[in-house]
Amino acid sequence: MSQRNERSTQAELSGVSHWLIHHAAHLAPESLSSRLEEEWLADLESRSSALSRLRFAVGCCWASMVIVNDCPRSQVPAASPVAAARGFITLADRSFGYFSLRSATLFLIAGLHAALFYGLITTLSHTRGIVPPPILENQALKDVPREKVSVPQSLTRDWTFAVPKPDVEIPSALLPSDHVTTNVGEELIEPYAPPLPVTPTHVVARVAGGPGAGFPDTADFYPSHSILLGEQGFSTVRVCVDSHGRLTSDPTTVQSSGSSRLDEGALKLARAGSGHFRATTEDGQPVNSCYPVGIRFQLKK
Amino acid sequence: MGKKDTNVRMSLQTLRVLEVFLENPTEKLAGADVHQRCGIASGTLYPILLRLESAGWFVSQWESIDPASVGRPRRRLYRLTSTGLRRTSEVFASFNRGVLA
Repeated sequence: MSQRNERSTQAELSGVSHWLIHHAAHLAPESLSSRLEEEWLADLESRSSALSRLRFAVGCCWASMVIVNDCPRSQVPAASPVAAARGFITLADRSFGYFSLRSATLFLIAGLHAALFYGLITTLSHTRGIVPPPILENQALKDVPREKVSVPQSLTRDWTFAVPKPDVEIPSALLPSDHVTTNVGEELIEPYAPPLPVTPTHVVARVAGGPGAGFPDTADFYPSHSILLGEQGFSTVRVCVDSHGRLTSDPTTVQSSGSSRLDEGALKLARAGSGHFRATTEDGQPVNSCYPVGIRFQLKK
Repeated sequence: MGKKDTNVRMSLQTLRVLEVFLENPTEKLAGADVHQRCGIASGTLYPILLRLESAGWFVSQWESIDPASVGRPRRRLYRLTSTGLRRTSEVFASFNRGVLA
């Protein structure tokens, strides 16, 4: 039974293969149609399995389309196979320079993908650029009418607690000399103690220091390599200065300009400026202090 | 009559087909034989054979048999022409030099 089914399946596949070849031959240019059909049917017989024949027939369909592409139907003279071959010779190999039609199609698809990707990226970046930052507004709250809230009677009772007297006898030696009463059990604990009066504190008028008179010029410490490379930047160094404007420790870089050369130039400038810093003052009196100094290296146009 | 354009766009499959024919340049081969020797599918093989034939590298003719007595249909046989043999040799020689002609 299964063999019979197999045979019928093979017969069906063989019929499909023949039909496909017939169809493929009709797709081909008219001058080549009969020749290709006979040739393909003959070659089909050399295939053993039904599946192989089917694959062959499907391939012939593809071959027909390629042949049509190589040799347009309208320009092929309908004549004998020999004449058809001659006609085919004159129209052979339709290619676009170095690229075949298939390669050109692939390049077109790849180009479209690249264009879409580029458009997507540029649109996203453009959109990100024009989106305004969120505006944070301070809105003053209007006066909220205050309603008098009536407190339930159960919550308005006297919140004082009576602590029972413990059964512990306190030795007299432990009691403070200014002791007033030890009758803890009879005294009431106040639930709230009033705050102590705040004594006014003295506010120190502090004026931060910085580069003072006679401070060296930035141009004298512009690294020559940076000038050649066109490097510019802003370096922040931290200096510790005494009351006379002299450095009390070696300056350090707290924010780099992005160039190690410019940072080093800024440190050299700060070291050279020792004695020319303005000391920080507190209430008008110079004091030792540390503060950041920003140094900009900028090339003149 | 214009001069025949004998230029053929070389692809890897075309080279494999030519290689099969170059093994025995006088041998006549059907498409099925070429498929058996180089394994190229029919969808690629027949357009190549037709291109080479139209360029004058191959000639084809029907097998001279009696289908009724042999018990199978006649096949279309392809053979290298003298032009085809010369051009094929040139192509493979250029590959040996490392240059694609």
